[in-house]
Amino acid sequence: MMRKFNKNESLIAIFGLFVLLLAAMVISLFLGSVFIPPGDLWGSEILWQIRLPRVVLAALIGLLLSVSGVILQGTLRNPLADPYILGISAGAGVGASISIALGAQFVIFGMSSVPATAFLFSLISVIVVYKLSQVSGKTSPETLILAGVALSAFCAAILALIIIITGNLQSIYFWLLGSLSSASWSNVTTVLPYCIVGAGAAYFFSKELNALLLGEEMAQTLGVDVENTRFVLVGAASLMTAAAVSVSGIIGFVGLIIPHWMRLIIGPNHRLLIPVSALSGMVLMVLADTISRTVLSPMEVPIGIIMALVGAPFFLYLLRRRRTEGK
Amino acid sequence: MSILRVENLVCGYVPRKPIIKNISFSVADGEFVGIVGPNGSGKTTLLRTIIGLIKIQNGTIMVGNHKVENLDRRELARRVAFVPQLMEPVDGFTVEELVLLGRTPYLERFSFESEDDREAAQWAIDELKIGNLKDRPISELSGGEFQRAAIARALAQEPRVLMLDEPTSHLDIRYQMKICKLLKKLRKHRSIIATFHDLNLASRFCSKLILMKRGELVAEGPPEKVVTPENIWKAYRVKVTVRSNPSTKKFRYVMLP
Repeated sequence: MMRKFNKNESLIAIFGLFVLLLAAMVISLFLGSVFIPPGDLWGSEILWQIRLPRVVLAALIGLLLSVSGVILQGTLRNPLADPYILGISAGAGVGASISIALGAQFVIFGMSSVPATAFLFSLISVIVVYKLSQVSGKTSPETLILAGVALSAFCAAILALIIIITGNLQSIYFWLLGSLSSASWSNVTTVLPYCIVGAGAAYFFSKELNALLLGEEMAQTLGVDVENTRFVLVGAASLMTAAAVSVSGIIGFVGLIIPHWMRLIIGPNHRLLIPVSALSGMVLMVLADTISRTVLSPMEVPIGIIMALVGAPFFLYLLRRRRTEGK
Repeated sequence: MSILRVENLVCGYVPRKPIIKNISFSVADGEFVGIVGPNGSGKTTLLRTIIGLIKIQNGTIMVGNHKVENLDRRELARRVAFVPQLMEPVDGFTVEELVLLGRTPYLERFSFESEDDREAAQWAIDELKIGNLKDRPISELSGGEFQRAAIARALAQEPRVLMLDEPTSHLDIRYQMKICKLLKKLRKHRSIIATFHDLNLASRFCSKLILMKRGELVAEGPPEKVVTPENIWKAYRVKVTVRSNPSTKKFRYVMLP
């Protein structure tokens, strides 16, 4: 059993992760198919217009996915919940690809058509999965995951159908694999507000998330409005997932691995779990994206593939571990 | 003065099928009330209705001068605290972190635990004499230790009414006594309501007993007036005799063969 961190140790952990993040970003910035000579630093287009926005975007996507994982695991009271497993990512992908296929061009609430439809569909998916998994008013972890898997399969079928009908394989398949290859500064500014709002909402609801650890009813007797909390936080997680999917496609397992891993190390207190998960999610994505750019250089391996290659075995490991603990 | 007044209460999970059918009683400051009765008599339902988890169908519940249905969740949580029979143990939480959760109803949206909150948690830990367990993960506690931590969590809410659902049912006899003695001490400045299966334990420690059967009151009053062969026959259909111990002035029922 891992020991509780005191206040100073927590601050050191957060600071350490922050330093690690900066280091990872700097290293990532200088690795790539094109070598940038030290003398060319300031004038380098590749560095400032291609690599830097990509590294920053990777970090922001990591934050979005890991924090929405923490939120979903906390509000749904299920340690296996994450946007990918629950089918929210797949739903957002369907929304985004419908928008691409139809060539929709509109702006709603400051969101352009692709993230807006991705958001709408991710919200629908989360409501569908949540309602399907309720058995006589209670959500069971098993049915929640099964409902998510079923919805993901359904969404995959719709995606395939859209691809066949429109013949638009190239740009839609991008959603299924997940990649940061189209990163730009405008992408960064698109997702940044979602990072701030989502992470802020999660952090300021950390006392509710902590109370929910005791169970729904106990949280109520502690004065928590569970319905309202769920509404706000699941909404925030869907928004964050949708924002991430709309610029990077479907990248799985980040939202599952990071909160779990961090919970094992620093404990379940959300006051600390949220910032630590956010930072380590950022580090993980920056590293994963660096690998995706360099491992088969000059060819690029989509980051979604790398995360699935690492994430799936880790997920299985967690499932087995929970089983043996349950005995 | 009464802290809690229940008047003509009717409640349950399904509209026309109430579990509690017309119950009235009041609890005064400093009282330790034991709710007893056979399985399915509605003891837990009664507690869960007072804490606002079950809707009132008819009648009123007053906490101090307020109707329960007029208080929002946070206001109610500052007045009434609840220790359920089984609480989910949270992996990785320490006793202190668990107790601090009791301060949730006092925290504002954008604020964290203040020094006052930490003091209140420390006070609750001291009252339950679990200072030595403070930094232990709750998953490593024994049943009796966990129950004390759970009570400290509720006490940190600084409630006027502390309610416990079968606080002794999973404990060995040593801890049954220990918890009851602690509760008896805690009733100062607040009132305690607890459900019990063990009539002898309840009559030994409670200042007042409420005997229920199928959602109705069978008897209410000091233990010696409630635990009588007639009442027990009415509630449980079991024949008993009641014997008192002259040296302790306590009494206990004994089942007849």
